[in-house]
Amino acid sequence: MNLYKMAFNNIRRRKLRSALTMLGIIIGVATIVVLVGITAGATSVVKEETSSLMYDVTISPSLSSGSSLMDNQTASKVESYPKLYNVTEFTGFQETINGNDVTIQGTNNWKQLKLKTGSSGVVVDSGVAEKLGYTVGSKVKIKDQDMTVTGIAKENGENIYVDQSLAKQMADNKVSAITARTYGDPKTVAEDLQNNITGVSAQTKSEKVAEVQDMVNQSMLFASIIASVGLLVGIISVINTMLISVMERTKQLGILKAIGFTNGEIMGSTLFEAGILGFLGAVIGVVIGAVGIFAAANALHFTDYMSEMLPVWLIVTVIVGSTVLSILAGLYPARRASKLNVVEALRDE
Amino acid sequence: MSNLIEFNDVWKTYKMGEEEVNALAGLDLTLKEGSFTAVMGPSGSGKSTFLHIAGILDMPTEGTFRIKGKDTSRLSSKEQAHLRRNEIGFVFQRFNLMPQLTALENVMLPMIDEDLEKAKKLMDRMGLAGKYNKRPGQLSGGEQQRVVISRALINDPSIVLADEPTGELDSKNADAIMQILQDLNKKDGVTIVVVTHNRESAEFADAIIEMKDGKIIS
Ligand SMILES: Nc1ncnc2c1ncn2[C@@H]1O[C@H](COP(=O)(O)OP(=O)(O)OP(=O)(O)O)[C@@H](O)[C@H]1O
Ligand SMILES: [Mg+2]
Repeated sequence: MNLYKMAFNNIRRRKLRSALTMLGIIIGVATIVVLVGITAGATSVVKEETSSLMYDVTISPSLSSGSSLMDNQTASKVESYPKLYNVTEFTGFQETINGNDVTIQGTNNWKQLKLKTGSSGVVVDSGVAEKLGYTVGSKVKIKDQDMTVTGIAKENGENIYVDQSLAKQMADNKVSAITARTYGDPKTVAEDLQNNITGVSAQTKSEKVAEVQDMVNQSMLFASIIASVGLLVGIISVINTMLISVMERTKQLGILKAIGFTNGEIMGSTLFEAGILGFLGAVIGVVIGAVGIFAAANALHFTDYMSEMLPVWLIVTVIVGSTVLSILAGLYPARRASKLNVVEALRDE
Repeated sequence: MSNLIEFNDVWKTYKMGEEEVNALAGLDLTLKEGSFTAVMGPSGSGKSTFLHIAGILDMPTEGTFRIKGKDTSRLSSKEQAHLRRNEIGFVFQRFNLMPQLTALENVMLPMIDEDLEKAKKLMDRMGLAGKYNKRPGQLSGGEQQRVVISRALINDPSIVLADEPTGELDSKNADAIMQILQDLNKKDGVTIVVVTHNRESAEFADAIIEMKDGKIIS
């Protein structure tokens, strides 16, 4: 009978025993999944919710240009300005439908829009819906563009939201504002930009926005510290479990040596067993962690962000990591056991 | 018959803090192939230490030990393991079986060419017919020791070393185990060394060696 088969049997036949060994790994992995998952989820939520604030300068047509929209050429110049990054275009313009003024809003981030019914695509504010009698499925014609309302927003305003690309197209490829982050001091960049590109004015964000940005960054740092603690606890738990389970089998390893197995064979099978325990423990831990994440998502109303909270990379990393870590953790005691004096190992009770 | 094992002025010294204990103190001994030897002596006289060195489970502090003409201290740990697996069968006082494996699996554990029929035949011969699938915990002491002996014999070793194999058995079971060892020696020509405290058990052997203070006194 070969030692690998025996290692496998060890796990299969002594289920309670294996379960207890794996418990440490399961708890560790579940902790990592839940904490990292919630952190990742919360980070995505915060990012989504605050992305409209995450800019350093707003560039819009200058008063002297006489228009609230800037043409595509000017926009391109701004966008290729070397001191800017994370550039976002925004197009908004006024229209009159059946005598009612509405604002067409180009939308980059649909998640920020709170919907009453329907889905993103062409969304009208409740106010507009009421005045014009729109429901999901109503036909709307703006600038010769036939569209169908896909959702109603909670907001009681006068906006109609469409994809930014569509809004820009309807406005003859013009944009009303560009937001961007800057390399270097925003004030200096803004001044330079105004001097270099004609027809635009650049404003730096308000103090308030800067404060919110700081707070968001701090809370994300805090969340990742908590996740790191979870990670550390998980890793230690996996290593500790493996160390104990190999240590307490010193005598059995002694028997194997006495009946003529080589150090290499004993090491190999011990690490094999450690790897299997690490793998199985991680799979169970991920399942339990996923249940925890699901419960947390429900409690926090984060269900929209489920895929961000349980990303595939986390699952794969955790399973591979736990397997590798278990093997590494088995390495030290397995080495120690294989180097151990047989007589002493056999005396071990 | 040629020499199977040779002890040449073998010392085994244990350091206990400041104090040094000579478990073996200049042991000289040769055993021929096909011999059946019993080793007796008071507790602490070095019998187990002697057997451990003979089984390549331990190394002499000084002096040389040869098996089949090979100086064990010159072998790599892999070569030592191969000798243990192919040439030596070790039987311990404590039964030392893998608790999670069945009797049959324990016997087959060190088997080099897996052969179920051979293993079963061997167990039948040891009086273990029908016990193949029992775990060690479900077997009596005498039965467990038969499993250990079966395991020691599975690769047809040239020598079987037994350290008080009957120490935890009643006299009926002890005699049965000694009878098995005698059988192996007479019928199969296996060289056997048995350490025992029991004069009656020792009488099964062809020669009795007395040890005291790490040396052979007769
Ligand atoms: N690992 C060790 N460390 C220190 N001293 C040891 C060690 N192993 C054996 N000894 C000592 O070496 C001497 C011989 O021990 P050994 O086990 O060979 O005796 P023994 O004849 O088998 O005794 P028993 O009949 O009680 O089994 C004893 O004094 C023992 O205390
Ligand atoms: Mg002894």
